[in-house]
Amino acid sequence: MKFSQSALALAALGVVVLSSPVPSATDAVAAESGAATAPADPAVLLRLSPSQYRHSIHDIFGASIKITGRFEPETRSEGMLSVGARLASITDSGLQRYDELARGIAAQVVDERHRDLLIPCKPQSATGADAACARQFFARVGRMLYRRPLAAHELDGIVAAAGDATSVLKNFYGGLQLALTEMLISPEFLFRRFQMEPDPERPGQERLNAYGKAAELSFFLWNTTPDEALLRAAESGEIHTRAGLEKQVDRLMSSPAMEDGLRGFFADMLEFADFETVSKDPAFFPSYTLSAKLDSQEQTLRTIVDHVMVREGDYRDLFTTRHTFLTRSLAALYGVPLVDKTENGQPQRWLPYTYPEGDPHAGILTHASFLALHSPSGRSSPTDRGKALRELLMCQRVPPPPSNVDFSVVQDVNSEVHRTARDRLTAHATEATCAGCHRITDPIGLALENFDAAGGYRTHENGAPINPAGEINRVKFDDPIGLGQAIRNVPAITNCVARKAFAFGSGRMPVAANPEWKQISQAFADSNYNVLALLREIALSDLFYAPPAATTVASTSAR
Amino acid sequence: MKNRCVINTRRGGTSALTIAARSMLLGAPLALFCTASVAETHGYVISWFATATYNQNWKEACPEDRNGGGLQLNIRNFMDIGFSREEATDMANNPALPNREELRERVINRAIVNGKHVNVYNYPDAVPDPNIETVTGPYAYGFDLGGDSAHKFIDPETKQKVDNQLWRAVGCTESYRAAPPQMPYPEELSWNTMTDSALAWAIQISGEDLGRDGKVTVTISRVLQHLERDASGGIVSGATYVLEPVTRSHNVLQGEIKDGVLTVTPADIYLEGEMPYFAEIAIKDAHMRFKRRDDGKLIAYWGGYIDWKRFAYMYTARPANGADTMGIYHAVKKMADADPDPATGQNRMISATYRMEAVPAYIAELNGNVVAVSSRGPAWGAQSARVAAADDRSPDAANP
Repeated sequence: MKFSQSALALAALGVVVLSSPVPSATDAVAAESGAATAPADPAVLLRLSPSQYRHSIHDIFGASIKITGRFEPETRSEGMLSVGARLASITDSGLQRYDELARGIAAQVVDERHRDLLIPCKPQSATGADAACARQFFARVGRMLYRRPLAAHELDGIVAAAGDATSVLKNFYGGLQLALTEMLISPEFLFRRFQMEPDPERPGQERLNAYGKAAELSFFLWNTTPDEALLRAAESGEIHTRAGLEKQVDRLMSSPAMEDGLRGFFADMLEFADFETVSKDPAFFPSYTLSAKLDSQEQTLRTIVDHVMVREGDYRDLFTTRHTFLTRSLAALYGVPLVDKTENGQPQRWLPYTYPEGDPHAGILTHASFLALHSPSGRSSPTDRGKALRELLMCQRVPPPPSNVDFSVVQDVNSEVHRTARDRLTAHATEATCAGCHRITDPIGLALENFDAAGGYRTHENGAPINPAGEINRVKFDDPIGLGQAIRNVPAITNCVARKAFAFGSGRMPVAANPEWKQISQAFADSNYNVLALLREIALSDLFYAPPAATTVASTSAR
Repeated sequence: MKNRCVINTRRGGTSALTIAARSMLLGAPLALFCTASVAETHGYVISWFATATYNQNWKEACPEDRNGGGLQLNIRNFMDIGFSREEATDMANNPALPNREELRERVINRAIVNGKHVNVYNYPDAVPDPNIETVTGPYAYGFDLGGDSAHKFIDPETKQKVDNQLWRAVGCTESYRAAPPQMPYPEELSWNTMTDSALAWAIQISGEDLGRDGKVTVTISRVLQHLERDASGGIVSGATYVLEPVTRSHNVLQGEIKDGVLTVTPADIYLEGEMPYFAEIAIKDAHMRFKRRDDGKLIAYWGGYIDWKRFAYMYTARPANGADTMGIYHAVKKMADADPDPATGQNRMISATYRMEAVPAYIAELNGNVVAVSSRGPAWGAQSARVAAADDRSPDAANP
């Protein structure tokens, strides 16, 4: 495998670096420079998601730093990448990718465009080592990257490494670049560490240490690394007091950066990372352009941010709201007019749009982000959509199909006998091995059959009229609008979003029977399912910062 | 439902205004006429536009087949500057010709004006007519414009005698040997290069019931956005476009849908453009017939008289299109069949026909009002008149 020049140079200079692939999170820490003690429980490490990595770099070094390259694929567990992050390791190729990202970032930080802004001092000589200046730089940057102050031996080590590299390269900034690259591929940056400490208020028990708490709070609400104020609250111990924690939670929640946290959470919950592999046959779905595909995710996130953060609406109304935001590309996909007076050649604008009464679109289930993501490339799939609705939004699990199922009837979209998906699924479900699961998924998914595989509206399939009637929890409905109204009133919808919100921040699902979790759930209900109120309750709870064993739950316990 | 009244503009096109608004603006009696009442308006944007080609039987159309392609053109050019056919052929076939640049300059500057060598593309009349082969076959798309009966073609679709001297002039040229969805090469180059930036043209069709035969109003205008591509590189249906507020490119025509075909009362039209070859669409006595496919797309032919010099200019200004620029210039000039110059007798206009396609679109005004809806189907009129989505080129036209 290839390592950065910095890794090789530092290794040659005798600096301890990652010298082998990182097979597991625990090993990653163990292989690190020895600055930190490797935790015994791998569950106390969470790998930064790509969006957390990007936000962190931009918050530390500025948005002008370009982050180019691909990330190690993420792992989904319990329906959430943020839960899978605690199981994530770094593979050979993953380390190479992180190394390439780190080299690109470090080079920009020290280049002539950025160095005066990001490096707080000038070296005595551009060609020689300057330990004082290097120390000043790494003390500040290291604190932000590792989300805690560097230990003295850590800082000494990195300053020495930069100095040695400078001596070889005859370039002070080159030395900083190499040492910074190493920090950027350190597990201390790439993984969030849940470092526990004795709890002075509860002798014999442990609590998350102050910096860990600050990081958990920041990644939960802002989806990024803690800012200076939060690190100071950790440094002073203020974050361990109720008043201090409330002050920080309220500060974070009143910031515009709160939108990043909401976006990160809902993108994870709605599995938008899977859009990377979504494609539609352009011969059948010409309106599903690349713009429409990308914009569809943004449409849903904008709708959620507007509903949850701006309007502070009831979470359940996300399934019925007629308010949304569209671009011209999306409007064309949906078949609705959108008057954009932007000058020709300029990027398309996002415009607020309210579907009129009678329009078949309402709620996020009628967004292309849901409809297209959960359809194969050439046809819609009521089963996939029903399964997604149950798993993503209701935290229920639909068993996979048996290995010997004959899908030929379902997939024959040109059948002259079974012209609609309902016809085909009815025929398919005559097989006893299939009928059980399809009863769970299809009555929901068939209600969305008015939307094709790309999310475009239709009334007929193969010339036959589509019947979008369905049922959930013995509540019958006639069409997609009715489905949204029925789903709105299903308790699993609110339970699920609350559990996943907790998991997004902590990397673990809450125990449903935990008394504190019950209090959080009740507070969510009492707030008329205000998501901001939910997030605040979670952020202020002891449960959120509790040691992993207290909250880890078997996947079936909450179902 | 609303009633609309229209008034002729200075270009011979028309612009739609309410009586009240117009009266307030001008404060004077106006010669107005009112169209049929409007219950629905469907919008479109022109997604494909090119000279109408008919290449079903090349041998019949161009029996001599002597115009050739780029190689033959180079041979002729070398002969024009004094080389024998054998020498010119050797030179044209030699990719490593040592003095290519010098020869190129001589070819370009072979025109002589006042004893000086000048650029042939600036002075096309200063070189002899190469006398390229022109179409002698019987078929071309078009309309009967009342021209000389000796020059008539037969329209392969309507079987009517039609005027289309532009096709006669260019139809034996290699780059016009195209059939939809291909455009003639120079036009396609221009269209595909500029589609993503040039302002588009919109069509609104208004009528009492567009699903039935009846009177309609056809409004053709320019919009403020370029065409939006779809996932396969075509033009997306259902996008929204905003009308240009100025009336220079605003044309209101009266028409009728009958047996699934919309025809208009001939009128002059003008559309400002931004593309080479389509820097403007200026057609005198424009005749039009539209059909609508089941997917809502319009297929139409527009015929009338255009300024032959404006067409020829596109060739002389852009000679590197693999066509015999001088040949086309002189052919078009010779074939011009209307509007004689009183002083010289040279006709200034040439009959021509364009083929166009338009996809459904919402059309809005700058104030945000949506004035035409995007409707994806079905075809107009009787089943027999429908155009098959798979092949709109009237397969039966091949052997009229």
